[in-house]
Amino acid sequence: MASVHLHELTKWYGKRRGIEDVTLDIADQEFMTIFGPAGAGKTTTLNLIAGIVAPNRGGIRIGGRDVDGLEPADRNVAMVFESYALYPQMTVFQNMAFPLRSPKHRTSARELEERVRRYAKMMKIDHLLQRPIQALSNGQRQRTALGRALVRQPDVFLMDEPLSHLDAKLRHSMRAELKEMRSQLGTTTVYVTHDYLEAMSLGDRIAVINLGRLQQVGTPKEIYFTPASVEVARLFGDPEINVIGARLRSKPDGLAGLQILGENIPIGVPSDVVSLLNGAETVKLGVRPSDIEIAENNGAGNFHGLVYSFEPLGTKSVLTIDASDGSRIRALIDGHRTFEVDRRIQFRIDPRSLVFFETEKEGFLAKSRLNRQEAGDG
Amino acid sequence: MAELTLRNLTKIYNPGTPAAVEQLSLEIRDGEFIALLGPSGCGKSTTLRMVAGLETVTSGEILIGKKTVNQTHPKDRGVGLAFENYALYPPLRVRDNLAFNLKAHGVSGREVEKRVAEIAKYLHIGDLLDLKPAALSSGQKQRVNMARAMIRRPAVLLLDEPLSHLDARLRVQMRTEIKRLHAEQRFTTIIVTHDQLEAMALANRIAVLHDGRLQQFDTPLEVFNHPANEFVAGFLGEPPMNIFEVTMDAGSRLVVPGTDFTLPLNDKLQRLFGSRAGAKFGVRPWGVKVSSTQSGGSVPGTVSVVENLGDETHVGVRYGEILLMASIPVTDRFKPGSKVQLTFNQDDLNLFDATTGDRL
Amino acid sequence: MHESVSFFGLVGRVSKTLLLLVYALFALFPLLWMVIMSLKPDSQMFTTTFLFSPTVENYSAVFLRSDYSHFFFNNLTVSISAVLLSLIVGVPAAYALARFQFKLKEDIAFTILSFRFAPEILVILPLFLIYQKTGLYDTYFGLIWVYQLITLPLLIWILRGYFEDISPDIEAAAQLDGYSWWQVFLKVLLPLVKPGLVAAGLLCFIFAWNAFTFPLLLSDARAQTSTVVALRFLASDTVHYGQVAAAATISALPEVILALLIQKHLVRGLSFGAVKG
Repeated sequence: MASVHLHELTKWYGKRRGIEDVTLDIADQEFMTIFGPAGAGKTTTLNLIAGIVAPNRGGIRIGGRDVDGLEPADRNVAMVFESYALYPQMTVFQNMAFPLRSPKHRTSARELEERVRRYAKMMKIDHLLQRPIQALSNGQRQRTALGRALVRQPDVFLMDEPLSHLDAKLRHSMRAELKEMRSQLGTTTVYVTHDYLEAMSLGDRIAVINLGRLQQVGTPKEIYFTPASVEVARLFGDPEINVIGARLRSKPDGLAGLQILGENIPIGVPSDVVSLLNGAETVKLGVRPSDIEIAENNGAGNFHGLVYSFEPLGTKSVLTIDASDGSRIRALIDGHRTFEVDRRIQFRIDPRSLVFFETEKEGFLAKSRLNRQEAGDG
Repeated sequence: MAELTLRNLTKIYNPGTPAAVEQLSLEIRDGEFIALLGPSGCGKSTTLRMVAGLETVTSGEILIGKKTVNQTHPKDRGVGLAFENYALYPPLRVRDNLAFNLKAHGVSGREVEKRVAEIAKYLHIGDLLDLKPAALSSGQKQRVNMARAMIRRPAVLLLDEPLSHLDARLRVQMRTEIKRLHAEQRFTTIIVTHDQLEAMALANRIAVLHDGRLQQFDTPLEVFNHPANEFVAGFLGEPPMNIFEVTMDAGSRLVVPGTDFTLPLNDKLQRLFGSRAGAKFGVRPWGVKVSSTQSGGSVPGTVSVVENLGDETHVGVRYGEILLMASIPVTDRFKPGSKVQLTFNQDDLNLFDATTGDRL
Repeated sequence: MHESVSFFGLVGRVSKTLLLLVYALFALFPLLWMVIMSLKPDSQMFTTTFLFSPTVENYSAVFLRSDYSHFFFNNLTVSISAVLLSLIVGVPAAYALARFQFKLKEDIAFTILSFRFAPEILVILPLFLIYQKTGLYDTYFGLIWVYQLITLPLLIWILRGYFEDISPDIEAAAQLDGYSWWQVFLKVLLPLVKPGLVAAGLLCFIFAWNAFTFPLLLSDARAQTSTVVALRFLASDTVHYGQVAAAATISALPEVILALLIQKHLVRGLSFGAVKG
């Protein structure tokens, strides 16, 4: 068990940027997810920590110990690879026992047997120990790979998209089981994923990385409700957040109001938020699809639009709406209602859950108020 | 545009091996959007290829309009197929890719130009007409691919996994576009997909296939809410339905042996359960209510895992080998170790036969 | 419906088997003829019937009354040594060409392969002169060295494919599991490329064993191999076809025995990509 500290870590592959100036502190026993789209530099970061590739610049400390220049074998980290990287010529037992037979971690035969069985049981593969790898399903391989990392009892776990090759159904249940297991392990973990649900579910904190640079580090809640930029906001949530251009107007009562979607329905902005907007006249508003509500009746505060497309997804449906000014927004609504294409509808936007971004640089400015979600947190 | 009928359609690749498609009968109405949904190897692509004429039919009939097309050459069937891997002709510009099969069918030059312009407008590819396929992004390729399938105004439009090679963001966008396009054009359309969300979002009706056999053919909400069997129940919905084995105790309550899961059933469900020894119990995560107070018929449990996912919160309660997942309002707060009471809306419960998997 | 399908299926299978049998006879006939010839006395050599009085006379002439066995063991020594040397040099080379990125990598790889394209006769004259001068002429080592032109390119190209098929993740995993690079190579990589190693080794042996031009021109009485010596029975006054056939049959034996012994590996090894987990 150990903390991990990355300092200005930089890696170029020839002219292609792997990561640049990544500085990140991971506390002892923390579960850190590194999240980003494909090619963002997530796996590079993990490989640097493991010592599989060497950085051009910057350093890594594990448990206060400088590990730069150390061989992977000497860092006492265990890794679960996206490809699982199981030894195809060995059985499940031999795969799991392999680390314990190495010169670095040599373990007595009795203890080896005991540990492999204990972790195989934890991963629910104890009935498969004598099977060759080729005879396993994807899910079983994935569990074997996890088991092989666990038997070592390393300082740090590195996991590279361990669930990405499982089918959607298995991914959901493995995610929950992994989270359940976390408390039993209590080992510092760095977990790479491109699935925002995994990042949010598993991570104590999330490091969002894109184009080789760190975008934001924070708890799942911070990142979901106060994203550092439009880009980060778009990466979390499905369907993704609506980003709407807005003009700031002052209202007769002295408060500021927002004009959006080509309609004259000013949305009030609290004065403490106005002070955060740096006197900008225009902003970009982030509105989650779940914060748009379809109005049943005519109302003064309603926006108007046409149904562009309606997609039922079971318990929820996605409604794509062409607003009065032609911009297209998505709403996530209850699955029991159906809508015909091109129907006129009215909708409301929850003023409590707006996120404000700069118009040009798209950086975070403010959010309207505590979200319902956070209010519930107490 | 026309209706499409499959009658006892069967495909056997090698004699003696199981059928890839077995006795498949579907009646697809004019202008309807149908999804063939199933895991890989379920026979959905084979079915599509048989309709397109790329695969011979072992037995059974395919009717387009009122005409049997079993022996008709693919080009004369009036079907348009958008291939999964796009299959655009690399040396031709987009314009010529689109015009290619119109010209092959002897459509006049002026008419070709008119149709290219028309379809380009619908699929928003007007700016791309003079580019070669290599210069297109994957989303653009997919649009051109679909345009090429539609330009002949086929009686039946076939889409083979059209979204599978796009990244998540583009996939959601394209899904909306396809849905909109169908609302405007009303092509009789069959989409092949393994993505249940795609099938539900797009189709008027979904045909769920498994091991070459039709499991259920109905509207998305019907398939979702009243699955015909355990396979369909498990295949649709994310997070997946909780499905596990149960028995009935002397007091007509469902139990998971060896755990404290005991659930009293209403009369209707008791009747469905009948006198059998055991059955499979299925409930979607949204059908489970979690509260900290006891009520009539509630099942006690201990929270084992909590997932905060922004718009949703999932709570897992463990009963032995079973991790029962519930989707709860984000305002509710539970921690691992919390003692809770689970209540089930009895109308949302599913019972399946323990051996056949059929819905009771 | 089902019945008719299986009927046609049966007819198909029978005719397929028959065709294969005919082809096998056609392909094996020269070998069969060779074996028959080796058992015929000289007097019956030119009869075309299959009826003859079998004799081992030719074999005893080749083995007991000539020094053929000496050259047979020469061939064995030179070929096996050549393959071993190729393995020692070629396995690391194949690994490096598969794994590492360096300048001119593809050019080097192609140059190595191109040694196989060049006709041996093209380089033999300068080689002959060099060997004469350096004293490598008619030595075992001289032959083993020049045989590398035959065996090394083949071995490197087959094994490179094998190493490329192994995910680098597996190596990284084993290193993280606490093994040094050498241990990873021996314990994880070598077992994975074993089928390729066996197949490539056997093919190399066959090519080395059958080599003709090099031993013909670069060796003499001391180091000459059985392939060259078999010709001697054609020489001078009469042609002893029976003895040529006997020598050829014996020559073919090691290859046949080896191939039978490791048939399983050979089939797996030649279908590339057999390592996929």
